[in-house]
Amino acid sequence: MIETLQWTTLAICAVISVARIPSTLRGENRSLFGIFALMTLAILLSIQGPYVAIDQALGGINLANLLLRFVIFGAIFFMGVRISRGFGANSAHRLITGRTGMLVLLAVSVVMVALFFSMDTAGSSAGLSAISGKDARHFALVEYYGAAGRAYPAYVVLTLLPAMVRAARDRLPILVRIAAALLALGGVAVALTLLFPVIPPALGQIEFIINYTAVLCFVVGLALIWVAKVLSGRRAVSRRTSTET
Amino acid sequence: MTLSAKAFQRWLQSIAPDASTADVCRVSGIKRTTLAQQLVRGKVSVSTVVAISRAYKINPVAALAGFDAYNVLAGPPRPPTRSELVSQISTADLLRGLLARPAMDAAQGAAAPALNPAPHATSVKNWVDAIDDGEVRHRVSAATGVAPQNYSAQLTANRLSAELAVATALAAGVGPAGGLVATGIITEDEAGWPPDARQAALASLTDGELTTLAGDRLQAMGKVLRRQEQDQAQTEKIWENLG
Repeated sequence: MIETLQWTTLAICAVISVARIPSTLRGENRSLFGIFALMTLAILLSIQGPYVAIDQALGGINLANLLLRFVIFGAIFFMGVRISRGFGANSAHRLITGRTGMLVLLAVSVVMVALFFSMDTAGSSAGLSAISGKDARHFALVEYYGAAGRAYPAYVVLTLLPAMVRAARDRLPILVRIAAALLALGGVAVALTLLFPVIPPALGQIEFIINYTAVLCFVVGLALIWVAKVLSGRRAVSRRTSTET
Repeated sequence: MTLSAKAFQRWLQSIAPDASTADVCRVSGIKRTTLAQQLVRGKVSVSTVVAISRAYKINPVAALAGFDAYNVLAGPPRPPTRSELVSQISTADLLRGLLARPAMDAAQGAAAPALNPAPHATSVKNWVDAIDDGEVRHRVSAATGVAPQNYSAQLTANRLSAELAVATALAAGVGPAGGLVATGIITEDEAGWPPDARQAALASLTDGELTTLAGDRLQAMGKVLRRQEQDQAQTEKIWENLG
């Protein structure tokens, strides 16, 4: 079931990325393509098979996992910038791009890199599960490393959450409101990842479901806004032609 | 509130004893599937009764009065108040009426132009405002169990269910059919409003009253338009950044 979820998510992300290529070539909101492409890469790197293949090419010391974390940070950062600007969430925009946001990003990155290199990371293993199993010290280090990796995305989505909830209840086009609700749901899912350390290992599947729910909500939410725009453009054009005739 | 299919059938029997459902639909212009669905669900809409009444040359208000839920409509029609009449004049007509006044333009002074028939774009809200003593919304809400915010939402959308329209008229102590006129379910004529009553009400307004009223209407309209523009700007911003 987890495998299906992973590959479905990958397929959805890839399809939307490809669908964005024409508008990206026209120069419309290029960073949106970047967000979708980074998300696709992140999903690819979180699936066992592709992960091992890429990590072997990078030397087999799980650098791919570190890369994955920064890919996520990049996707989340650009998403935060775009969403906060689009929805007029000025305080969120300041918290993400201002000094606080940069400090959080820098601190989290430094801690994460330091933790990564303090581990013996030889032996490709998605989610570092093999590393975590080495001994008690490595188990703790992997936990902290994971927590650091989840901290920055959680910071960004928590700044966005109020604006999303507001937009979902606003007098906006219905598709945009649904999109905002999806983005808010994704935000809640990301915030929930902060609770991963207290989830018993027996319920490990929940972590996967939360992660992929978050990604799917974000990707589908952003795509919906795009669809709403295209639809409204078409409607405006048909209205214009119908009044001309 | 909808009407029970049983009561509706009984009523239909009394006005068109030999007509089949198909005949009734044909003369009244109601879609057969619509009527069939309403009968199956046991809930016949007020507009169905109104359409059939008109087809059979019966006064729709009198027809509705035959149903329990609308029996307050029975009896001779009560004349509308002046403010009710004025509320059913569209903003454009009010402004035209104002411009025709000598106080606005001494050169004019011609007879006020003819009015468009009720209802108009804000007729429901204007009607409730015209009869509201400040507590009407609360009384309607208490009497019908409809939450005040749902009631307000209907007014903002210039809608009001037939049940609420009648309940509002009762709560305000005005003629029970006024709300049905404001919502466009029935015509002024069917409600027993004298012809040219709105024109006469408009003419009876002093220059000062008319100017103030037109100003209020324009202010409300400006508020709605500005809000629409803000919503539009917000949407464009979202599309500019995320589309």
